[in-house]
Amino acid sequence: MNYLPVEQVINPAAGAVSLAILIFLSLSGYYYMKLAERGRTFPVRKIRAFEAIEEAVARSVEMGRPVHYTIGYGSLRTAHAPQYTAGLGVLTHVAKLAGKYGARLIVTHGVPEAIASIDEIVRDGYFSEGRPELYNPVDNARYLTDIQFAYASSAQAVIIRENAGANIVIGPFWAESLILAEAGTMVGAFQIGGTARDVQIPFFVLVCDYAFIGEEIFAAGAMASGDIPTLASIRGQDVGKLLSIVLIVLGLILLPFGVKLATYLMW
Amino acid sequence: MEMSVIWRRTVPQLLVAIILVVMTALYFLYIDKTTKATLNYWDQLLINYSIVIAALAAIVGGVDLARYHVALIMKREREQIPFSLITLFLEVVCVVFAFYALATGVPILTQPQFSWIYLNLQVPTSSAMYSILVFYVASAAYRTFRARNPPALLLLIVGVIVMLGNTSLGFVIWPGFTPLKDWIMTVPNAAGYRPIVIGVGLGTIILGLRLILRKEVTWMGRRD
Repeated sequence: MNYLPVEQVINPAAGAVSLAILIFLSLSGYYYMKLAERGRTFPVRKIRAFEAIEEAVARSVEMGRPVHYTIGYGSLRTAHAPQYTAGLGVLTHVAKLAGKYGARLIVTHGVPEAIASIDEIVRDGYFSEGRPELYNPVDNARYLTDIQFAYASSAQAVIIRENAGANIVIGPFWAESLILAEAGTMVGAFQIGGTARDVQIPFFVLVCDYAFIGEEIFAAGAMASGDIPTLASIRGQDVGKLLSIVLIVLGLILLPFGVKLATYLMW
Repeated sequence: MEMSVIWRRTVPQLLVAIILVVMTALYFLYIDKTTKATLNYWDQLLINYSIVIAALAAIVGGVDLARYHVALIMKREREQIPFSLITLFLEVVCVVFAFYALATGVPILTQPQFSWIYLNLQVPTSSAMYSILVFYVASAAYRTFRARNPPALLLLIVGVIVMLGNTSLGFVIWPGFTPLKDWIMTVPNAAGYRPIVIGVGLGTIILGLRLILRKEVTWMGRRD
C-alpha cells in the first residue's frame, strides 16, 4: 500500500504538530466528558467573576436599577466568533438570574447575526424563571450598530441614561472597552468585564470589580450551561495547559544545548 | 422529538458542527493540487454564504434599531425624541442611498453625497469618541495608581517607568528609562501575556469541541 508523504497531506503553513496537538486536546476533552457522563466528578476551579454575577444582579434589583449586558460589536464571520459565543453563554446565566430576581435586563450589542439568539436567550431567561411579564423584546435586547465608536457611544449612553446598577461586558473588545467600563464607573455600577483579547484585558482588570481573564470567558460559558459533562470539558483545557508547561520547561532545558524546541514544533 | 424542535435546534447544531469540522479540515489538509482547488472552492462558497447571511442580518439589525426608536418616540420622552428622530432620519437616508445604488448601479461607497455624509458626520464623531479615550485612560490610571498596598505600589512604579520610557521627557530625566521600559515590555510583560494567549487558544479548541459534540447550546437560547 502506497502512503502519501506527510507534506502532501498536511498544509505546511498550518503544521503537522499543530494538528497533532489539536487532535490530542480534542480527544482529552472528549475523554473527560465521557467520564463525567458515566458519573465521575471533577473539581473545577471557581471563577470569582462568574460567582459575582449573581451578586451584581441581586444588588441591581435592590437598588431598583437595571442590569446592562453587552457582547460587543462586530461580525460572527471573524476569528472572534468564539468570544461572541462565550458572551452569549454567560448571557444565558445572566438572563436566568434576571428572571429569578425580577431584574430589568438591557442587552446592547452590535452583532447583527446574534440578534435572534440574544432575543431568544433573554426571553428564555424570563420565561424559564416564571416571569414572562418582565420580558419586553424592544427594551431588553437592543441592537445598536456594528460601527465601533457609534456602538461605543450608544452603549455608553444606555449605561448612563438608564443608570445601570450592574454593567457586565463579555466578548471581544477593542478601544471601546475602557469607554464602556468608565461609563459604568460614572454611574457607580457593579462591574464585571471579560475578554480574550490580550490587549484589552488590563483595562477590565483595572476598572471592573471582577474580571474574566482570557480563557475564563470560555470556561464561564460551560459553567453557565450547568451541564456536568460540558463542565468536564474544561479538564481537557487543563491537560492542554499542562502540556504547554511541559513544552516550555523542556524548551528551556534544551536551549543551553543549542536545541530550539520551537523550531521542531513549527513542523 | 417534535419536528419544530428538530428544525429549530438539531439542524442548526448539526450545521455548526459540520461546518466546524469542514473548516478545520480545509485549513489543515491538502492532498494534491486538484483536491486543493476543489476544497478551496467549497471554502470560498462557505465564506460567500456567511457574507450573504451577515448582509441579511444587517437588515434585521436596521429593523430592530428602527423599532426601538419608534417605541421611544411613541413614549413621548421629550429628551430622547430629537435623538431618535435623527437616528431614524439617517437610517432612511442610508436606505435611500442603497436603493439609488441598486437602481443606478453606482456602488454606495462611491456616491459623492454618501461620501460627504460619511466624511463629515461619521468620521468626525468617531474621532471625537476615540479622543475621549485619553481622559478615560487618565481617570482610570489615577484611580489605579494609588499605592494602597505593595502590589499597587509595584504597579505604580512600573507604570511610571513605562510612561517615562515612552516620552522624550523621560529620556531627558534619565536616558536609562527607555531601555528599562523595553526590558519590562519584552521580558516580564511578554512572560505574563503569553500564558494568557496560550490559554485563549486552548479555550477556543475546547469550545469548538463542545460545539462539534453539540454540548455547547447556550448560544441558541430557548430550550424545548
